[in-house]
This record gives sequence, structure tokens and C-alpha cells, in this order.
Amino acid sequence: MTQRKVALFVTCLVDMMRPRIGFAAIRALEAAGCDVVVPEGQTCCGQPALNSGDTNHAIALARQTIVALEPYEAVVVPSGSCGGTIRCHYPELFEHDPIWLPRAQAVAAKTWEIMAYLDEQCGWKPEGVQVDAKATYHDSCSGLRELGVKAQPRRLLKPIAGLELTPLAGEETCCGFGGTFCVKYPAISNAIVGEKADAIEATGADLLLAGDLGCLMNMAGKLNRQGSKVRAFHAIELIAGMGDGPAIGEEA
Amino acid sequence: MNAREAILSRLKDDSDIDIATEAAALLGTPERPAVDIAQVEAEFLARLALPSVSASHDDIETIEELPAAVARYLDAQGEARALCLPPDPRLSGCDWSGFALHQDAAPDEAAALAIARKGIAETGSLIFETSPQAPMLPNFLTLHHLVLLRVADIAPWLEEAPLAGPQPRAHYWITGVSGTTDIEGTYVRGAHGPRFLHVILLRGDFPHMSEQ
Amino acid sequence: MSGAPAEATRFKARADAALADRILKVAVERTAGTAEAKRAVAVDAFPDFQAARTRAAAIKDHVVAHLGHYLEQFEANATAAGAKVHWARTADEACDIVIALCKAAKAKSVARSKSMLGEEIGLPHALAEAGIGRVETDLAEHIIQLADERPSHIIWPAMHKTREQVSALFKAKHRLPHEEETIAAMAESARRELRTQMLGADVGISGANFLIADSGAICTVTNEGNAELSLVPPRVHIVTAGIEKIVPSMPHAVHMLRLLARSATGAALTQYTTFYTGPKRPGDRDGPEEMHIVLVDNGRTRMREDGLAEMLRCIRCGACMNHCVVFRQIGGHAYGGTYPGPMGAVLTPVLDGLKQSRDLPNACTMNGKCQEVCPVRIPLPTLLRGWREKSWREGLEPQSLRAGLGLWAWVATRPRLYRMGTGMAVRAMRLLGSKGWIRTLPLAGGWTTYRDMPKPAAQTFMDQYRKERGR
Repeated sequence: MTQRKVALFVTCLVDMMRPRIGFAAIRALEAAGCDVVVPEGQTCCGQPALNSGDTNHAIALARQTIVALEPYEAVVVPSGSCGGTIRCHYPELFEHDPIWLPRAQAVAAKTWEIMAYLDEQCGWKPEGVQVDAKATYHDSCSGLRELGVKAQPRRLLKPIAGLELTPLAGEETCCGFGGTFCVKYPAISNAIVGEKADAIEATGADLLLAGDLGCLMNMAGKLNRQGSKVRAFHAIELIAGMGDGPAIGEEA
Repeated sequence: MNAREAILSRLKDDSDIDIATEAAALLGTPERPAVDIAQVEAEFLARLALPSVSASHDDIETIEELPAAVARYLDAQGEARALCLPPDPRLSGCDWSGFALHQDAAPDEAAALAIARKGIAETGSLIFETSPQAPMLPNFLTLHHLVLLRVADIAPWLEEAPLAGPQPRAHYWITGVSGTTDIEGTYVRGAHGPRFLHVILLRGDFPHMSEQ
Repeated sequence: MSGAPAEATRFKARADAALADRILKVAVERTAGTAEAKRAVAVDAFPDFQAARTRAAAIKDHVVAHLGHYLEQFEANATAAGAKVHWARTADEACDIVIALCKAAKAKSVARSKSMLGEEIGLPHALAEAGIGRVETDLAEHIIQLADERPSHIIWPAMHKTREQVSALFKAKHRLPHEEETIAAMAESARRELRTQMLGADVGISGANFLIADSGAICTVTNEGNAELSLVPPRVHIVTAGIEKIVPSMPHAVHMLRLLARSATGAALTQYTTFYTGPKRPGDRDGPEEMHIVLVDNGRTRMREDGLAEMLRCIRCGACMNHCVVFRQIGGHAYGGTYPGPMGAVLTPVLDGLKQSRDLPNACTMNGKCQEVCPVRIPLPTLLRGWREKSWREGLEPQSLRAGLGLWAWVATRPRLYRMGTGMAVRAMRLLGSKGWIRTLPLAGGWTTYRDMPKPAAQTFMDQYRKERGR
């Protein structure tokens, strides 16, 4: 079997805030038989600029990211919203640019959210992983609606021994993060995440799982402020067998 | 430039496609609720019984039985045998003795009868048009709306509701009673108009229909 | 008019007031929550709702592409049926036409059947200025009129009011108010109050949910039957309708109607769906002597030219706002325009100007739920992003944000510098945290006022990766 040469787009949030999500992604990809490369030229996909209407900066970052990622067979991202930016919005940014549009489309076509890639492209499942806990899963909006990430994480979590998945009421309802939204309109964001935290608590789960660090930081930060005992992980951490490490906000 | 010209000048259509053909092609095979066309009456009655429609119904074989059916309904509701009746020749053969009949609805009309041109199984809708024989206002003022519908006029889908050719002043679909959820989302019947809808199904034909 | 910062403060102030109002939250949750649940049931029961949405979007796109053709066709058919068609470029022109028609009819009072277009063009205000009495006949609009407020939702204008508030209002204003404190008794009080007023009106004014091009008919949908009671008795019927309301024919209208009620309330149809074609015919026992249809542009041709054509698909069902996490928290009044929620955040900058409303496209998490439930597949997040771009280009975004994003992008387009910067930022942030969490973070008060920030790891991913892999 020839190894798939896969580029990991780490995302700026994972790079700065929680590197172990990136390492979990590498571990799972390697277990699935991929040869993982972390291209040097990457920084941020440009989503904050894109969503703020700062198109020029969004284009500059998109070009940089396209150049960094285009040599590889596939690009894998441990975030639905960054993956959605590359896959759905890069081609829109270069809609009227005959030179960059094909390059943007080519990168978009081979960019995958990590769990969708492992499940759909590699047909891989974790083996020998055990996590004795009750978990609930929040479907982050961009992954769900832009990339169709819904069944894949659940299929990957199912083989984990000891893990019980309990449904979250309003699992497809936005957590109120919204990138810059949460700092531009903090009071509204807080009201939304407050309801989300209550719904998470109501599940009685030990663990909160999701596929996007931004949403996870928002929900975990609110849960912690409320004194909750629920621990939050990116789902790929459990899937890669790294669920025994510190949760978000726990000292290593 | 007047307003009409100003608006239309911004909507110039340079394409040379056949707009009517494109519009017709957009209809295709429409997505719509399943209706068993062998069971349209049962399907219609099932929709009538839904909480959103909540109409009662009765059955008669011939038009001559209509006054008795109306009397049955009004008696059961504790209403007087008074009825606002449209000047429709199809009703003239009925014996309305014992009823106080009138043609114009009072502001606090208790009961009015109308003849539906069609019933639609998909939604439980009743289809009407205005004409000199069919005023519209009584059907909205009355508290009890009684509707005569020939079983043979029940059609499966809403596509069969519209009237072909020149249109009357009003063509209207009634799918329940006057309801509102405007206060705290709580459903209340009889917001402005009818609080009760009662459909009388006629199994036979209207009089003289075969000779017309 | 004041500038953007003042308006931004006003939006935030309105939102803060709404967030503090727990009664409002309960009221919004009750109605929007019920609508959300009922829609879900209706959509699940409908065979291939997704294909039906695609078809509905295609029908509206076809109409918008050939809008001139259809407007002329509608005009010809409505005129042939005896209606008089008027055209208005702006809200003021539309109101002037309606007021002139009312004056020509010597109208002392008009009965109005709820119309968002009427609200959009400021018709209630124009009628008041002209000294013409106005009876709002939709129960919610009646409540709004008595309270002297504006609608907070396009389907349930009085969504923000609780039963206690409605009860007090009716007791103060109705001639024979309810005695029993039930919603049914309150509705009955309004029925008593409104019926005689409706029947005594000189003119009936409605909007139109659809304009049928090939017959010249206008369609209204209501659950209360108030449209018919407002439009049949008066001598004159005036319709004000946005030019985008056209559909080619009745079968097209049937398709749109199947989606409209399901998306709005979860019902298969509204209780009353009426198509009016011209005034009463010879021999008819009721109906108006005159019918006037005012076709209103008010920014719509500009939307078509300026990349907002998809917004002209909107059939005003309200599903986007019922499913919007922001609307559900702040209700409709906080938006400050005629139309609230996601569709309002797209339309208000057209109607009121972007400078006045730049907050609305920004106060959105871009979660995409509105687009998912829209019966005509309007890409609402994309259109909102379009407004954000315009706001950025026109320099309406706050200077602090522009400077911050500019600096960040300058660094982020220089990967080596970026690595150094992030490494330093991580170390600085770690100094502020204890036991894994940061409780207050300079420049991120918006975050840490309400929630904790996890302390970052000791090294960035890139630093750790380079060390581990020796690259």
C-alpha cells in the first residue's frame, strides 16, 4: 500500500492554544496509514478577516495558505470552520481571478475535516482505545453545515471501549462562539453559550466533545466559570487514544 | 420619467429565452404530500379531523336531506334554526320549513351555509368562488360555517383547486376555522370569524345537474 | 443623522436591555420554540422537502430574472380584471398614492390587514399624519396598535408581549373588555372590539403574499380571516405589494404556498388563502367597488443590481428568525428595523442605510441555520458577509478592529515572524493564568467577562513539532 501524503493544516487556534489536538490528528492519520507533513508556510487560514469583511487580508492569507498546501495529495484540518473556509470560501474569494481560482478550487477539492477524512477517505476506525466515561457531542456549525460532518465523528467514537455517547439537546444549535462575534457582541454570545452550558450539564455527561477548538473553548470556558465538572476535549483526542491527558483548561 | 417607466427601465430583460416555456418547466413533477387517489374521501376526512382544521362532518345521500342535516347540527350546537343561505339555485329544491332564512349576514351571524366547488384531500381545504349566487362575507362573519360538498368534487391535490379561465372577484380556500396564536403562541378558535366548521358531504348529485 | 458608532451603541444598548428582560425571553421562547418544533414535524412529514426548496428557489430566481416581463403581464391582467395598478419607486411615493386614494374615497377610517410591506413603507404613520383613522385587524397588530409599538416578528408581531401585558392593555382600551383572565377571553374581547370597526371601514388595505402574473390576482394568507373581513366590506380595496411578490401562475403559487405555511407555523396551509382579482363583478353580493394595487420598488431593483437578487426570493415566512440563536436571545425590537432576524439583517441596510445598521450583519455567528431552514434557499450568511465587506470597504467598521486585524494579518502573512509572535503571546498568556484557566485577559474582556480562557500549552504546536521531528 502506498502511503497517502497528507498535509496537516494545524489552524492558528490549535497551534497556540492546544497543540495536542494537532498531535492527536497526526497520530490518528499515521495509524490510518498516512504520511503526514506539516507545511512550514502555514499560519492562519484568514477566517477572521473573511468574516469581518476584510477581503484584502483574507485574500492575502488565502494565497499564502494555497501555496503552502497545494503540493500535497490531501489537506486535513482539525477544525470544521477552518476546513470550511478553505473548502467553501477560498473559491468564492477568487471568483473573479482567473489565475488563482483554479488553484483555490484545487486545494478546496482536496481539503478535509480530520474526522471526515479518517472515516470517509481512509475507512479507518480506532482500535484498542479505551475511555471509561459518558460523553456528549456538540455539532459545530461550520463542520455540520458547510462540510456535512455529522455521522463521521460518531462512527469514529463508537469503537472506543467504555465510552458511552449520550445525546445533547440542541446538539446542532450554535454555541454562540462565532469567531469574532463572541468578542464583538459578548453579552449576546454569553446568553447563547449559557443555554448551551445548561444543556450540556443536563446530559449528565462527564465529557463534552466537539470538532472545533473555538467552540470548545467557548463552551468549556463557560462551563468552568459556572463551576461545572464537565471536561472538554476535541473528539480527535479521544479517537487518537489521547483521552487520558488533560482536558481543555487542565494543567498538563 | 414616471415611476412605472423608472422601475421597468431597470428591469430590462435582454435574454431571448421563451419565458413561458421556462416557467412551465420549473413546475415539473411537484413535491407534495402523498394522497391515496383511490381513497380521496377518506384522505379528505382525515385532514378535516386534524387539530389545525378541526372540522366536523356529516353525510347525506340527496340534496333533499340537507335541511335535516343542518337542523341536526344546529340542534346539537344549541343554536336556533336560523341560517344565512346564499341565493344558489341548487338549494331551491330543499324544504326549509322550520328555518328562519336570510340572505345577508348580520354582524353577529350565528350560522351560514355555503357550497364548496371542490374539496382538497391533501389539506382538507374547501374551495369557493364569489358570484351573484355566492356572497363571501357570510362565510367569514358567521360563528358556525356549514359547507355543502359533493363527494364527487373531492380532488387529491391543491393543483386542482384553481378555476380555469376568467377569474371571479375572489377565489378562496378555507382550511379550518378562524384561529390565532398571537397571544403567547396559544391557539384560540374564532379569532374574528368562524369558530366551528361543519362539512356536509353529499353522496348524490346536485338537482338538474345532468340536464345542465 | 448620527454616525455609526452612536448607532452601534444603540444596537448594543437595545440588545442589552432585551437580554436583561427575562419576560421577553420567555415570550420569544414560547412562540418561536413552538414554531421551530412544529416546522420540524411538518418538514419531516413532507416528501422531499429539500427538492421542494430547490424548486421554490428556482421559481423565484426565474421571476426575479424576468421581473419586468412579469410585472407588465401582471399589470395587464389586473387592469383587464378592473383593478387599477399604481407604481411607486420609494416608500414615500407609495404612501402618497395610498393617502391620495383614501382621500379620493373620502375615507374616515381604513381597515388594515397585516402587511410587512405596509410597515416597511411607514403606512401606519402616513395614515395618522393624513388624519385617517386606522383599524389594525390582525390580532397581534391590534395589540401593537393599542400599545403604540412596532412589530417584533414578521409572523407574530406581538411575540414580545405576555398574556398579562395584553390583558392590561385590553382592559384599558377595549369598550367591553374580558373579565376572565384567559387567552380565549382576551381574544373574544378583541373580536367584539374589532368586528364593528372592520365592518364600518371605508377602505380596506392589505399587502399581498403573492401576485399572480397570468391572472392579475393578488393572494393573501391569514389564519384569522381578518384579511377577508377587512377587504370585502369596504368600498375600496388598496393593495401595497413589493414587486418581488410575483409568481408566474397559480400552480407556481401552489408550490410556494406549500412551503410558506410549513416554514412559518408548521401547518400545511393557513386557514384562509384568498385570491382577489379586480373589484366586485356585476351582480356580486359583496366586494369592493374599486381595487387598487400599488407595486412598490423601495430598493428592490437596486438589490437586484447590487448582488442581493437572492434576497428577493424571500417569502416572509419567519423561519430564519425562529431558528436564529441571536433572535431567540434579543427578540425583534433590538434589531431596530422593520424586519428582524437574519432576513432583517440583510434587508435593513438596504432600507435604512448601512451606516445606520452595520451592527446587524455583524451580530451573527454565521452558523448557517437560517440558510438551512429557508424555504427558498437564500444564502443568508453569504449575503450578511457581503454587507460586512461593504462596511469594511466604506470604513464603517470601528478603527480599533481595523487596526487590530490589520496588524494581525501583517504578522500572519510573515510565517517566521508569526511563529515568534505566537510563541511570545503564548508565554505571556501563561503568566496570566492559574490552574489551567485565565480569568481576566487584557484586550479580551469580551471573553473573560463571561467565561474563562484556557491557559495555552507551554509551547505552540509548531515549536513542539519542530523539536520532536527535528525539522
